[in-house]
Amino acid sequence: MAQAESSAATPFETDFWKDSKLRKMWDDIVPGEPRKTLPYTLTQEAIALYCRAVGETNPLYLDEAAAKAGPHGGLVAPPAIHILLMFACTPADDWMRSPGTVNAGQSWSYNIPARPGDTITLQARALDKFIKRERLFVVHDNVFFNQHGDVICSGRGQTIRPM
Amino acid sequence: MTSANFDALKAGDTIDGPAFAVSRESIRLFCDASLDYNPLHLDDNYMKGDFGKTNFGGIIMHGMNNFGLISRMLTDWATPAGAIHRRLETRWLKPVKPGDTIRPAGTIKAKQTTAKSRWVLVDVAVQNQRGETVAAGEAMLEFPASAN
Repeated sequence: MAQAESSAATPFETDFWKDSKLRKMWDDIVPGEPRKTLPYTLTQEAIALYCRAVGETNPLYLDEAAAKAGPHGGLVAPPAIHILLMFACTPADDWMRSPGTVNAGQSWSYNIPARPGDTITLQARALDKFIKRERLFVVHDNVFFNQHGDVICSGRGQTIRPM
Repeated sequence: MTSANFDALKAGDTIDGPAFAVSRESIRLFCDASLDYNPLHLDDNYMKGDFGKTNFGGIIMHGMNNFGLISRMLTDWATPAGAIHRRLETRWLKPVKPGDTIRPAGTIKAKQTTAKSRWVLVDVAVQNQRGETVAAGEAMLEFPASAN
């Protein structure tokens, strides 16, 4: 898998225009070619922020004592934490960040939960691209792993690319 | 609304999800939580432009915010019964904008017993305050044989 050096020291660039010229357009995307990815250490703070954004209040994600007594023996992240991991594990020139990228739908399968402190890695690629009703689509597939090599979740999505 | 008990569940049973008030602040918070700072969700000037044949007229909520809400509904329902959220597939049908209130819901579609486990298939949808379906999909929950 293609994996760049960890960007842990580099703050996340929130201006998605900044590197937009470096990103592949629909024409440049080669189905099957791996995307560059970055390992990411998932923190309890990041999990709590995600929980706040969608109104998650389950103590399994937020209350250490309750989580310890629960089915996972400790705090875990909600399954949909891959929403964060998708951007956390990819570099600023990844085409998923191209301004105007429209998400058309996704499907995800869950194996084991991510936990705070996990070092998450991503294997990802564009799998297919096509044109439908004058729109440019790319299908991407992704698998997230923890530091033990266990699959956390896998997913596939379609985005409409900016023209 | 039904409880998550595999034997008692039947097709047509429903799962209620939480209402969620969408605002510029909720969208901004989702940017920070997801690290998805696409200008679709931030920049009103950018959103005055056309996207092919579509003009959104202003910023829109992340499609994945729907996904996160559906996921929250499913885990809140399944986890107390020892069931596991295994899969969620969604597609976005309409944009969601600041001022909208959205709510996910589920309907049990089918049950399936496999060699090693038990599964429930759930149709899911998110509706806005006008009753329009903004997202739809399907979920799969596992009820391990040891669960109720």
